[in-house]
Amino acid sequence: MSDNPIIQEDIIIRNYRTSDYKATLEILKDLQKQFDIGLDEQKWKESSGLRQFKPNLKRITLIAEIKSTGEIVSMGMLEAVKNNIGQYIGYLNNWVTKKGFIGKGVGKILADKAIQILQSWGCENVRINMAYEGDRKLIDVFSHLGFQPIIIVLEKKFNKNE
Amino acid sequence: MFDAHKSKSSDKNPFEELAVVYVLYFDETHGHTPILIYPDDRYKNDKKFMRPIKYHPIWFLGGGSNALDHIDLEYKGYTFFGKKFLTKSKRIKRRAGLEDETPETIVIILSLPNKLEVFGDDLIQDLTKKIESEFGDNLFEIIESEIASSSLIKSPKIYKIIEKGDPIKNKLLKTIDDACKDFFRNAVKDLDTSSIKMQKAIAYLALKGMDISHIDSSNYKDSFSNIKLFDPTEKNNINVLDINIFSIKQITLSENSSEIEILVKNNTDKEINGIIVVITHVKEYFEKEIMTENIDVWFPNEELVFISPIFPQIDEYLLFIMKEDSNEKLLSKKVDLNALKKK
Repeated sequence: MSDNPIIQEDIIIRNYRTSDYKATLEILKDLQKQFDIGLDEQKWKESSGLRQFKPNLKRITLIAEIKSTGEIVSMGMLEAVKNNIGQYIGYLNNWVTKKGFIGKGVGKILADKAIQILQSWGCENVRINMAYEGDRKLIDVFSHLGFQPIIIVLEKKFNKNE
Repeated sequence: MFDAHKSKSSDKNPFEELAVVYVLYFDETHGHTPILIYPDDRYKNDKKFMRPIKYHPIWFLGGGSNALDHIDLEYKGYTFFGKKFLTKSKRIKRRAGLEDETPETIVIILSLPNKLEVFGDDLIQDLTKKIESEFGDNLFEIIESEIASSSLIKSPKIYKIIEKGDPIKNKLLKTIDDACKDFFRNAVKDLDTSSIKMQKAIAYLALKGMDISHIDSSNYKDSFSNIKLFDPTEKNNINVLDINIFSIKQITLSENSSEIEILVKNNTDKEINGIIVVITHVKEYFEKEIMTENIDVWFPNEELVFISPIFPQIDEYLLFIMKEDSNEKLLSKKVDLNALKKK
């Protein structure tokens, strides 16, 4: 695999299809290993990545596919959630790039597309949920796109046996 | 001439249970007193029936309630819209300090089932305007006639007062009847943005016991509404190829049964623009909208997931897919939770 950066013309950014299920599951498993995103394989169904609509929420999973090979190299979920004061807030979640493609600009192309979509949905702003102990470099990468850290989210996991 | 007193119980008024109009005045000795009740006067003296009318907050508002459009009271599934105004009077008052010219305090109350309260604002304005402009100068004569009718001994003079007041009362009743008929005819027409709504209107009226057989005939010009039943022999402009544009691929209940997930597929190889997806449930004859989603672009062969919350005691939900520009229905599906749970 070459170390050259991937340009927009090399990849197709599209929405998730049920045929992407296996590939996305593998990517999510990798993410789970690294950051414990709480993936439950039983709950990530074939239809989970499809465009979803429910009251006060829109969700889509974006896929980055290499044009020449059809390989899925990156994925990310975006959501528009209506808050208590009627504003739509966009979220980018579970943003993952396959190991061999990290640092080649695929994530940025995907994120640019995601931001365009969230804007077209009428979102007032976009937030990215990142691992607290994630790579500091990632924050720098996103700061070039205009993202600034503003909040820290604390989470408590419920023990299923409790 | 229209005469409510001549109506028999078999001639059920179509607006009974839809709209009731009370015209009342403030009597200096008896307080809040009805002049007439449309469409049926028979409960005029029924204390239970008249309770929300006698104690409606409109009575406690100063005369000529111009500052507020109208005052509403919700009571046992009905909304009572009240409006008050003062009119000319030459009636001899029965309380010291009041002169013959002291204006009459007239209150108009319109009651509608809560489900139809959306019509209240316009109808109460319409009725008040008509009554005030057409009968403002004569209402005191109906009041005089009502007071005269209740007296035990009727002198020739009293009979004369009654004879003068009764035709005005009948005319008032006819005006209210016409106003209601006109209003509901236009309201149904205005709201009929799609043929589905027409059918719903018919269904509601039929469920309320209204005879709708006349609208099935060609001569429905005298009907209160322009609504017509579907003619199954009539061919619409629906393209047969359109019928299977979308299909339901899967309907699932979420694990804790708090949501239903409906998976819908665009079966064509074409991008489809301008689609509306609506999920509703039916409660007491009325559809309640849960969610409406505008799908700007539905990609070829794309499957979309629509997730609707489930409400307690509601087991049936409806999904509609329509064209945004014409409201043409492309797919409708009833989701029965009981059937889903059995699977």
